[in-house]
Amino acid sequence: MMKDNVDAKVGVNAMDVKFTAKDVQVYYGDNHAIKDVSVDILDKTVTAFIGPSGCGKSTFLRCLNRMNDTIPIARVEGDIRLDGEDINAPQVDPVQLRAKVGMVFQKPNPFPKSIYDNIAYGPRIHGLAKNKADLDEIVEKSLRRGAIWDEVKDRLDAPGTGLSGGQQQRLCIARAVATEPEVLLMDEPCSALDPIATAQVEELIDELRQDYSVVIVTHSMQQAARVSQKTAFFHLGNLVEYDDTTNIFTNPQDTRTESYITGRIG
Amino acid sequence: MTDTSIPKDAPRAKTSIHQIDALTKKRNAAEKRFKAYGMAAIGIGLFFLIVLFTSIIRSGAPAFTRTVLEVDFTLTQAQYEEAEGQLFKTAAYSDFFIAELEETLTADGMSVEFDADTIERILGKVGGTLREYYRANEDKLGEPVTFSLATSSRVDGYFNGRVTRDGLEDSRFLMAADLDLVDALEEAGIITSEFNWPFITGADSGVDNPGGAGIGASVVGSFFMMLVVLALALPIGVAASIYLEEFAPQNRFTDLIEVNISNLAAVPSIVFGILGLAVFIQFMHLPQSAPLVGGLVLTLMTLPTIIISTRAALKAVPPSIREAALGIGASRMQTVFHHVLPLAMPGILTGTIIGLAQALGETAPLLLIGMVGFVARGYPDGFLQGFVEPNSAMPAQIYTWAARADSAFYDKAWGGIIILLIFLMFMNILAVILRRRFERRW
Repeated sequence: MMKDNVDAKVGVNAMDVKFTAKDVQVYYGDNHAIKDVSVDILDKTVTAFIGPSGCGKSTFLRCLNRMNDTIPIARVEGDIRLDGEDINAPQVDPVQLRAKVGMVFQKPNPFPKSIYDNIAYGPRIHGLAKNKADLDEIVEKSLRRGAIWDEVKDRLDAPGTGLSGGQQQRLCIARAVATEPEVLLMDEPCSALDPIATAQVEELIDELRQDYSVVIVTHSMQQAARVSQKTAFFHLGNLVEYDDTTNIFTNPQDTRTESYITGRIG
Repeated sequence: MTDTSIPKDAPRAKTSIHQIDALTKKRNAAEKRFKAYGMAAIGIGLFFLIVLFTSIIRSGAPAFTRTVLEVDFTLTQAQYEEAEGQLFKTAAYSDFFIAELEETLTADGMSVEFDADTIERILGKVGGTLREYYRANEDKLGEPVTFSLATSSRVDGYFNGRVTRDGLEDSRFLMAADLDLVDALEEAGIITSEFNWPFITGADSGVDNPGGAGIGASVVGSFFMMLVVLALALPIGVAASIYLEEFAPQNRFTDLIEVNISNLAAVPSIVFGILGLAVFIQFMHLPQSAPLVGGLVLTLMTLPTIIISTRAALKAVPPSIREAALGIGASRMQTVFHHVLPLAMPGILTGTIIGLAQALGETAPLLLIGMVGFVARGYPDGFLQGFVEPNSAMPAQIYTWAARADSAFYDKAWGGIIILLIFLMFMNILAVILRRRFERRW
């Protein structure tokens, strides 16, 4: 709807906030991995998390769809709300949450099944298609959104694992959008890809912004600058600075941010 | 502390890569030596395997042939009535048979003296066999009938070299002189060797009749046991592994269970046997010697094997597949059953079949629950009875034969081992095929 609203300051229009995190702490056993992170993530915006390795940006991303639940020693505290609803409330089933908050991982991880089944799996388990024709339509739409339709439309029965790395990653993105999520979390989606595939995925992310709130973790500051409208800089488990991407890169408020983007730490 | 200055190296001497230096020589020699050790190890392994197989096949082959005496015999109505009128009826039948056999041999131009005792030593109680046949088939009286009579196990042994003339000096079962008749009958084509089908299909025989012993009934016993093991151990084992691997919280209690499962795998099988005796037979009063009980005991034995291999197979599924499924919003159970389990299937099947093969060859626990020896009188009456009627199992049958006095049973034991090994081989081949079939590459 408000596609051009992305440059607005944080919290100017509460309607646009998708995720609200307040004082989030994450512990891996005794290790305090995330400290007091509070952030508002906007709808129809690409938000980039940057920071040196081990700074907690992936950990925080995984809080947003409760993937940390799958790690037995991880403990999450604090308040995270999706559209104002506490996602850690006892009555929340993480399965329902993850249907709304899709995720793309660092390493392309298609199922060892056909391309068609890779996409159709999510809609099938969530009951999004009434019949085969519906499902076919969802698969085509998702593959088109993943910008991979033209490359695979003639071999939907071929195994998804037989594609190249970049194609696999776009397949995984298509798989994530097939369940009609509201937010798309991407954990370094391009780190295993070559520059051409990276460019394709970045272009795709830019298109996805029209319908989704996209949160992307990246090691590449250039990538953050290229694709995101908002950037959050993490350092040693703290959220150091969160602002419009242009501000972060041209006029950082914190010396640590400045050091990082100029290449002195990290 | 300041660094002490690093001493400067003497300028390096120029070396040529065309000249192999001492270190490289040493390294290459070590590698060569290691390869030689490896090849020697494999060679020794193969050598013993070959020795094992040749000895098994050589010792077991006699069990698969038997000698039969095939002869046309006609009994007239008058002879039948005469024989039935006598006090020693079977002796009368025997006399008629001998007379006709003598006639046949004379017609072939041979003259061999023999009496009823000789025939009994060679063929056993032939009169009884004939009487039984004619009382059941009176219509065959007066017409020639071809009888195929199994010879005694000593004659079998004479044919396959176990029994020699010299060794027969004080034998009362077969005398050296009897062998003249055997030779004559062989020359006349009346005694021949043939494949011993009754050994494959038959049941165990009495201790005095090694020739009639077969392994068929105990194969059936083993089969029913394996059905029980498969039906119980596979679902229980896989369910336990999936729960432990994918759902159970990691705490002291699950650690304890894990350790105990590993310990169970190392418990000697005879302990499971005595447990089965105490629990299934003495406490639960399940039928003794039944494949059901044998199967239950073997299930207990196989479970740890299946659980350990299934857990290893589940662990080997890359976590990225689980994350992918969870990330789409699949529940844990959907993740396991739609993605993890299919990928773990080859490993699970291999583990299960290897567990079954182990159970198939297990003897000790069966001895304790009475699945031995002569209980296997024949085939069970029906499918369900197969589980509860007393039966034996292949390894237990082999054990019984090996323990019997008559050396002819020794051949049978080796023959039984061949059959058992063939079954095991097929199971292992099946494991390989299934693994290939289900394997998915990614």
